[in-house]
Amino acid sequence: MGLISAIGDSVEENRISLQHGRSGIGDIQFYQTAHAGKLPSAEVKYSTEELNKKIFGRRNPTITRTSLLALHAAGEAIEDSGLTKEAIHSPDTALVGATTVGGMCLTDELYHDANAKGGGTPYLSSYDYASVTMAMQERFGISGEISTINTACSSSANSILYGARLIRHGFARRVIVGGAESLAKFTINGFNALNILSSKPCAPFDRDRSGLNLGEGAAFLVLEREEDLKGKKSYAILSGFGNKNDAYHPSSNSPEGLGPFLSMKEALESSGLNERDINYINAHGTGTENNDETESRAMIRLFEKVPPFSSTKSFTGHTLGAAGAVEAVYSILSLVHQELYPSLSFQNPIPETGLIPVLQFIKKPMQHIMSNSFGFGGNCSTLIFSKT
Amino acid sequence: MAYFHLPVCISPQNSFPEVDLYQIRESKNNLLEVMEPAYPGIPAAARRRMGKSVRMAVGAALPILEKFPQPDGIIIATANGGMEDCIKFLNQIVEYNEGLLTPANFVQSTSNAAASQIALVTKNHNYNITHVHRGLAFENALMDTMMLLKENKDAGYLLGSTDVISAYNYNIDRNAGCFRDELILNTHLFQSKAKGTIPGEGAFMVMMNNQKMGASAGLNSVKTIHSIDPLTILKTLEKFLSENFMPGEWPDLLLTGEDGDERLLPYIDIVESSMDKCVPVARFKHFCGDYCTASSFACWISMQIFETGTIPELLIKKRGATKPVRKILIYNNFRGAQHAFILVSAV
Repeated sequence: MGLISAIGDSVEENRISLQHGRSGIGDIQFYQTAHAGKLPSAEVKYSTEELNKKIFGRRNPTITRTSLLALHAAGEAIEDSGLTKEAIHSPDTALVGATTVGGMCLTDELYHDANAKGGGTPYLSSYDYASVTMAMQERFGISGEISTINTACSSSANSILYGARLIRHGFARRVIVGGAESLAKFTINGFNALNILSSKPCAPFDRDRSGLNLGEGAAFLVLEREEDLKGKKSYAILSGFGNKNDAYHPSSNSPEGLGPFLSMKEALESSGLNERDINYINAHGTGTENNDETESRAMIRLFEKVPPFSSTKSFTGHTLGAAGAVEAVYSILSLVHQELYPSLSFQNPIPETGLIPVLQFIKKPMQHIMSNSFGFGGNCSTLIFSKT
Repeated sequence: MAYFHLPVCISPQNSFPEVDLYQIRESKNNLLEVMEPAYPGIPAAARRRMGKSVRMAVGAALPILEKFPQPDGIIIATANGGMEDCIKFLNQIVEYNEGLLTPANFVQSTSNAAASQIALVTKNHNYNITHVHRGLAFENALMDTMMLLKENKDAGYLLGSTDVISAYNYNIDRNAGCFRDELILNTHLFQSKAKGTIPGEGAFMVMMNNQKMGASAGLNSVKTIHSIDPLTILKTLEKFLSENFMPGEWPDLLLTGEDGDERLLPYIDIVESSMDKCVPVARFKHFCGDYCTASSFACWISMQIFETGTIPELLIKKRGATKPVRKILIYNNFRGAQHAFILVSAV
């Protein structure tokens, strides 16, 4: 596993921040936007130049911040996997990326190029979603199947389940899966125009929650076939997944959270587990009015007794296309270390649902963890991870 | 084998609602833009709100959804879907210096707008995904659907693609040197050797299931590869052929994504020359132009060839043995780095 977010540039650093309740949400320091200082966000604490140096040792004028975050996290994942160069380069190794902003974090350059205001910038082939995955393909020399998925905020949950299916059907023996996202004027202003950005650190599942904070980051995981493990270390089993559509509205969930309910239900069914087997839910929990209430309703409908749950977006902000993979890593850390990370900034439950998230770092024996990711366009996905 | 049913294609040629591949519509100002139908099935108010890529996708999907109202999933490929709205929103951001903006363009700018609109208008809660991997987005959608049909034998899936030429991706790609500088007609695309192609666009929708009965074609196999080395492409092709053909057996037609860009010729040449000399060769990008999901147009053309039993004259590059076309090998190449082989067969 590999991870870079506002709370650390490695899986281990992220874990330490989660354990100590250290949120990465604050004023924007690096990204140039009129909203810096007004809309708290969870920025990765390195400038793009510093990221370039960390990865390439020099400035690289055609690569975007989103791709740099992806390369950083995927590099850590590949190293952690212990796979040989030969295995990585083999046609049996697939790559599935996900992002919703791609290279469009370069607002000014894109404005210049898209409106043909003079000669092209060096970023002409770096704006689209695929550019992020292509940067990884080139850097790591991937020769197997490659896809990029964009289902808005559930993108990287889908990259994980799609990667698992590539293995199941023999299109790959191992798959690097995940997603990357960087702050962009595009998303900051988009979510702001929808009035769902909070001017305070987000308070998922709180009665008085006032919206989400955007975040950035990347997370990648290496999936392998069980038969190839042969005594190698592995963190967890992807034991089930669901992908459903809410089919209600382009930018909000149905009041009863039908899509979220169906997605969690499908994940449970595919894992062969009972609802009582789920020990914890890493909720989508964005901190918006709509998400937290509808997700709560869906959990109440599916579970006779809602298991402990929290939203780690109170640490990382909403990392959009990366969120599913970031939270998959957190879910797996919870399983490996048998510990739960809290939801921050929670004070009072939503009166209609009364659910209270995990509020403190605790140790707890657990076998199965569920992770939710819901996106615009009604795209709802759920993953279930189980202890090895 | 997975099967294609009720293919619908909205393209720069006469493909919807009536099909006529014996005439070619000429490009205008080096663009091959689609002939958009009237879309009687989409309510006017909804139609006005939709961007072109979503409108084309929904318009192409509706005739299929009339017959299969609740597919078990919606799998869409689009590399540039939503780009028009995306840049409209971006222009607002820059021109109003991040002031008060309206969110409509932002909401419609996401690539999953087509898949989610289709789900929304049909209240479809099933599997829903959008593949956006540039020149291989459609191949990924095909593979996804093949896997789904192995997972759920009795299911049926709506598979499709949509991509448009917007002023914006046109500007970006033109600056990147993807298009011909000189004024050229699509009918003359292959007559001069130069860098660049002409851009195109289109939407393709089809129902996929495991039912051979009534199908327009079968989907045998898909293989993609990223490489700029023609020899790697050759090796990939040889492996693909050995997996799908008996020794000495060949496809009945090779359909390539030759696009008039001389930089792609080394790849096209190596694929063509690795075929037996009796295999006829055809090409399709002078019909649809070059765009990320153009291989979906090649699949649609293949189904027309199976249905009529003839290869439209205007597509033929090299004649071969005159035998019925039962198996078509599609080779597409997107800008030199992304390659795909798709094998489809008559039922």
